[in-house]
Amino acid sequence: MSTLVVQDEASEERHRFIEKLTPYLFISPWILGFLFFTLGPLIFSFIMSFYDWPVVGERTFVGLQNYEVMLTEDPLFWDSLWITVKFGLFFVPFNVILGLLLAVLLNQKVFGTGVFRTIFYLPSVISGVALVTIWAWIYSHEYGILNFLLGLAGIEGPNWLGDPNWSLLAIVIASLWGLGGTMLILLTGLQSIPKELYEAAKMSGVPAWARLIYITIPMLSPMLLFTVITSIISAFQQLTIALLLTGGGPLESTYFFAMYIYDNAFKYFEMGFAAANSWVMFLIILVLSMLVLKSSSAWVYYEGEMKNSEAADD
Amino acid sequence: MTRALTYGALLFLSAMFIIPFYWTFITAVKSIGELYQFPPVFWPDEVMWDNFVTAWFKQPFDVYLKNSVIVVILSTIGQLFSCSLVAFGFARFKFRGRDAIFVLLLSTMMIPWDVKMIPLYMEFNMLGWINTLKPLIVPAYFADAFFVFLLRQYIMTVPIEIDEAARMDGANSWQIYWRIHLPLMMPALVLVGTFHFMNAWNDYLGPLIYLNDQSKYTLTLGLSMFKGLHETDITSIAAITVVLCIPPLILFFFAQRYIMDGSIGSSVKG
Amino acid sequence: MKKRLKQLAMVTAVTSMALGGASAAFAEEVLRFATWNSSENLAILQEISKRFEAANPGVKVQVESYGDGYDKKLIAAFGAGNPPDVMYMWNYPKYYKSLMPLDELMARDAESMDLEDIPAGLINTTRIEGKAYGIPAGFTTHVVFYNKDMFEAAGVAEPKTGWTWSDLREKAAQFRDEGSKTYGFAVEAKPDPYDYEQFFWSNGTRFIAEDGSSVDGYMNSPEAVEVLTMFAEMAKNEEATVLGIGDSTSGSALFKGSKLAMFQSAMWSKGGIDKAGINYGVAMLPAFGDKPVHSSIGASAMSVAKATKNPELAWEFVKFYASPEAVKLRENDLPIRTSVAEEMNLTADPIYKPFFEMLALSDRESNAFLKHKNWSKIQTNLERAIEATMIEKGNAKKHLDSAVARSKRHLK
Repeated sequence: MSTLVVQDEASEERHRFIEKLTPYLFISPWILGFLFFTLGPLIFSFIMSFYDWPVVGERTFVGLQNYEVMLTEDPLFWDSLWITVKFGLFFVPFNVILGLLLAVLLNQKVFGTGVFRTIFYLPSVISGVALVTIWAWIYSHEYGILNFLLGLAGIEGPNWLGDPNWSLLAIVIASLWGLGGTMLILLTGLQSIPKELYEAAKMSGVPAWARLIYITIPMLSPMLLFTVITSIISAFQQLTIALLLTGGGPLESTYFFAMYIYDNAFKYFEMGFAAANSWVMFLIILVLSMLVLKSSSAWVYYEGEMKNSEAADD
Repeated sequence: MTRALTYGALLFLSAMFIIPFYWTFITAVKSIGELYQFPPVFWPDEVMWDNFVTAWFKQPFDVYLKNSVIVVILSTIGQLFSCSLVAFGFARFKFRGRDAIFVLLLSTMMIPWDVKMIPLYMEFNMLGWINTLKPLIVPAYFADAFFVFLLRQYIMTVPIEIDEAARMDGANSWQIYWRIHLPLMMPALVLVGTFHFMNAWNDYLGPLIYLNDQSKYTLTLGLSMFKGLHETDITSIAAITVVLCIPPLILFFFAQRYIMDGSIGSSVKG
Repeated sequence: MKKRLKQLAMVTAVTSMALGGASAAFAEEVLRFATWNSSENLAILQEISKRFEAANPGVKVQVESYGDGYDKKLIAAFGAGNPPDVMYMWNYPKYYKSLMPLDELMARDAESMDLEDIPAGLINTTRIEGKAYGIPAGFTTHVVFYNKDMFEAAGVAEPKTGWTWSDLREKAAQFRDEGSKTYGFAVEAKPDPYDYEQFFWSNGTRFIAEDGSSVDGYMNSPEAVEVLTMFAEMAKNEEATVLGIGDSTSGSALFKGSKLAMFQSAMWSKGGIDKAGINYGVAMLPAFGDKPVHSSIGASAMSVAKATKNPELAWEFVKFYASPEAVKLRENDLPIRTSVAEEMNLTADPIYKPFFEMLALSDRESNAFLKHKNWSKIQTNLERAIEATMIEKGNAKKHLDSAVARSKRHLK
């Protein structure tokens, strides 16, 4: 009850205390969840990374050995990291840009756009296992529908998933089918841009492309920041599609870092090693995200920002 | 002219997005004979509608449906409440440690599940939650980082003057959250709800790890049961996949309409 | 059926009464049983479990099926110390430290179980460091399925006992048709090495030394190179299509669609082929020249977790699965009991006979993964060599040598 009339010092003290406490109360669900469900496993996995930790049997402390083997002995560590980076370089920009284009295109309240939106979201609705089965049918070299269609056009399609030169691209395309989610996020963001801005710009004869660059993108930048960061994260955590579609092959051309972790944990049962892998991946994503976040002050525009530095009442 | 071009491009793109779904559908209704034919059959001679019924009754899918619905509804409610509170906290207050905590929150999105799995299992086991739906529901009441981040970004596009005006009129923080921001972020909340619905509906790993008894299984787990170690029941997978797509698609169709029409943002601003 | 059930219930009721205290301890017990089986196979397991429940009042068997998520589930459960009581098992090297050795119990109950009736080659698949950690419940060997109608249409003679790979290649070549995308045979570019070792054995070599000390001279031996080279040549000459590179279309799918005249597989493909209505025959694996043929044995064995609270009940359950009554119900793999196979006339049935003939020839070798604790990592290098050979359709020697070199690190 912040409207209470302040009568004496004690109650003012109390009032200020509550004021100070309020933000923490708002974020308390997450804090509690973090303490209950995340912190423990996090510490546990950190400790685990210094152990030789088979799923069953004896667990022995090995110090930094897991990190050492990973960085110096195991060629797959660097290979898989490089493949993941290559994937991210394609996936992140395409996911954000195509998502943005679709969102802008479908932001018109014209007949039929609702149906189109639903269509583009369709692949996001299908669960991973089924989606991969579908892609396997599409990409199949001899019996696939894609090469069948290309064949009708007189083109001999490549062995999409069997040729190391094409496989990564095939995975990128399959992953981009999920951009309906990005589209929807940006579409939602577009709704909070005041229509008046566009009307004014239109009246003064600003062309459509300029409206996109000078109004839409800046006003949408908080949401764009979100999609960039979450795209980076999902690029690094890319697993299901490659695991089920190519199993990392052919010849490890789609062996992503997340699959490296997965194999160490579930194929080789080396939980300690997998934990060490995970911590390295965690740090890489964290650094990348922080870089993006730091850069965001230059390109993200917040209508309602509460900068901690310009603290008003404390 | 441009309109025609736009529609053309949209139609082409949608064809590419629809084909996978269409393929699943016709696979579901094909007879075994046509399933393996090449060149592929684009419309089966005989549409086997029975395949849906057969697949559904191969496993107790009615039980799975009940479990899935319980998980999805209860966890979505939790996610909407907790995330909107937390996002509001991060977007509209200044407090000691805010930026550091926010980075911590973001970083929780980046932890690979592989290594969290065993410790989390241990924890749920100690709580006696294994083989119950609780591990799939309760954590949703403690705000998922992805959605908090999303909502925070959305709230931050709302001009701060709105809050200030309300405070002048004597509203406290809770009232500003409840009366002003909750309605304002409705489109984003619908978005979060849709996303979470989809995640919970399609979640495979969580149910696989935490549920033991078939009477506790969810739909996705049942679907995966058609894929054994050596042989796969393709027709049943396709049929159940089609069925499982329908509720999220209907939800999505209405959600996107709401997001588009229910945009109050523009009327408050300007 | 019902009557037999009743009889069984009575028999067990009597036995458990004779055992006295034991049955009281079983009261209201839930026994967790995990399997990777799904669909029809799962239904069979559920049926067997129901019968066990009927025979043991107060016991509830919770059949838990995880399909191909099986390993993930077991890892989480074992890692957190909450494993199922009884489970399907094949990966003994990874799990045996948490499994109950069964030798003593087997010795104790040898007579009532009639262990003589179960071929030794089957129990050996569960043995690690000299101890048995599982009792097989069903098994399969590997064979070649062939499409009789296609053979007849092409005027090709059907495979005969004692055939060789060159016979197979000669036949296969006659089925290739580019227009209809038909092939005579299929070779795997990404096989499960567990099933692939049979070709090494049949050509007189192994993946790894018997004592697990070395792969050099085994994995890259001239005989090994010969095996890979032969498969690569079959692909090159289009005698066979290659499965697993860029195509997850399975061999069984192609066979069911009449795109393959011959298809090497095991019992797990039979059900699907039956359902697809293919008129097929079964032949033994072909031999490499005059060398003796040897098949891998895929056994679904049942293991008991060390941590189980109810080892006696768990053991009873495992025994029940190996009993003639339960073995008879397992239509989708082969009976582990010779007596049952004979009683059901399977050994004379032309479809089933080759499986048993393969079994009779397949007790000389044990699988590589039982011989070295790092085998799963070594195996990755072998898989890579096979895949690379099939992609390049040659260079087997180079790739196998590199697999050997890459494996040194893990042999320490």
